Amino acid sequence: MISIAVSSQKGGVGKTTVSINLAHSFARAGVKTLLVDADPQGSVGLSLTRQSRLLAGFYDYLADPGIPLERLIVPTRLETFSLVASGQASDYETGGGGMGAHLSRVRSFLRSVAAKGFDLCLFDTAAGLFGVTGDVIASSDAIMIPQQAEPLGIRSVPKLLEGLSRLRVMNPQLTVLGVCLTMVQNDLAESMEASAALRQLLPPEMVFKTQIPRDGLFVRASARGLPIGVLEDGAGAQVVFDSLRMEIEAKFEPRSGNQSAQG
Amino acid sequence: MDPIYPWLDPVEVKRLAESLLKPLRQPNLKVADAGFDEGFVGYATGSSPQAKAPVVVSSLEIPELVMPSVAHDLNSDPFAVTDMSPPAPPVLESAPAPVVERVVAPPIEENKIVIRVPFQESVIRFRDWMRENFAATGIFILDREGEVLFEDGHQGRLHFLARSLAIAPRSPSVGSSNVHVKIGAGSMLEIIPVDSPHGRMVLGAVVPEALVPSSVGVVMDALSQIASLQSSS
Repeated sequence: MISIAVSSQKGGVGKTTVSINLAHSFARAGVKTLLVDADPQGSVGLSLTRQSRLLAGFYDYLADPGIPLERLIVPTRLETFSLVASGQASDYETGGGGMGAHLSRVRSFLRSVAAKGFDLCLFDTAAGLFGVTGDVIASSDAIMIPQQAEPLGIRSVPKLLEGLSRLRVMNPQLTVLGVCLTMVQNDLAESMEASAALRQLLPPEMVFKTQIPRDGLFVRASARGLPIGVLEDGAGAQVVFDSLRMEIEAKFEPRSGNQSAQG
Repeated sequence: MDPIYPWLDPVEVKRLAESLLKPLRQPNLKVADAGFDEGFVGYATGSSPQAKAPVVVSSLEIPELVMPSVAHDLNSDPFAVTDMSPPAPPVLESAPAPVVERVVAPPIEENKIVIRVPFQESVIRFRDWMRENFAATGIFILDREGEVLFEDGHQGRLHFLARSLAIAPRSPSVGSSNVHVKIGAGSMLEIIPVDSPHGRMVLGAVVPEALVPSSVGVVMDALSQIASLQSSS
């Protein structure tokens, strides 16, 4: 099994949109995928299930060692696609945001997910690289970083890289898949400049070729509680996430066969 | 006008990014746990012939230099005990060895132990001050090679973590370079790199809660002064 954390230093960069649609793309491709809402705000759950406020979830698992994974998994109509909601326990109830406080529980969670036969566990994390998010990253095989294509977002890149360096000390096996530009607006000069600047700034292999456009379809998909590819006119947007998925698969290919659950 | 680059250092960003794409080098430890426990015998030191000799292994024979009351500890943790060893006879005080010389010195290098005595005394006062002011229950100081200069208790398992976090790349623009990590219920490992005339030292302290930036500054100053005084003596 491979575990990927979708994380960023900044909030509002499109982590949940990327997580939902990327996970859906993997599931459509036959990869048995578990999408885990590791954001206490519960954005994945709020996007995809009306019952999210009632479901036990990831934070309940962290807070209560007695909760088995089976109670958390929410199946979808797509057989290969399942969810774990954020849950009812909050970051506060799990004891706060100290780095390392939940490391063993997160790793236990991943072992259980692997034992359930999932091929991919994809975490939608809260903004920041500390607290539970830090523990998720420190337990995952890889991290991908959505980054909004706007000047302020690009200026935060040094902090992001410093944070990742620290987390790699905790998890030397962590693969940095790269930064994915989101909310790209081709008709806005500042957005295009920011996009170009990031590509100039970072090594090419650290920036995904695929970039996610700003599109009203995402709002519509969220309003209907669906991944964008399920919308009747969402095929075009689905192609974008399929492309992103293929880039990720290519990054894992050289070391396929070496993957195993964290333990 | 370029809207991005005035806000950051492209060279530094690229360096950080490239380092993230490379596999992380890890210490070649033979022990299963990366903590510096009984199986770990120290990093290789400088280039002098004496240092290249199997110094570390022979250091386990240091009990001859240790007072009987602490000899038992030496067997279980050579680093800690060497630090706790009593002052050696002050016959070689003029020896030019640096103050923060390696802790696990072979017996023939008595001069280094002698020269470290004032440092040791100062650090013990520093430890007491840390206990009193920050309720620190475990304090250790590593040099830039990861060798133990001082240890209060047995914190070997935390050494690797502390050193790794202390040397993790960070932007020079970040003011304070301390890091803290929660290591248990109600205990944090506070890691404070301190520059000294002998290079960067890493202070590790187990505290009930993370130190506020002003306290970190005070601690850095205090330890830096100890090292500076020592270098001028």
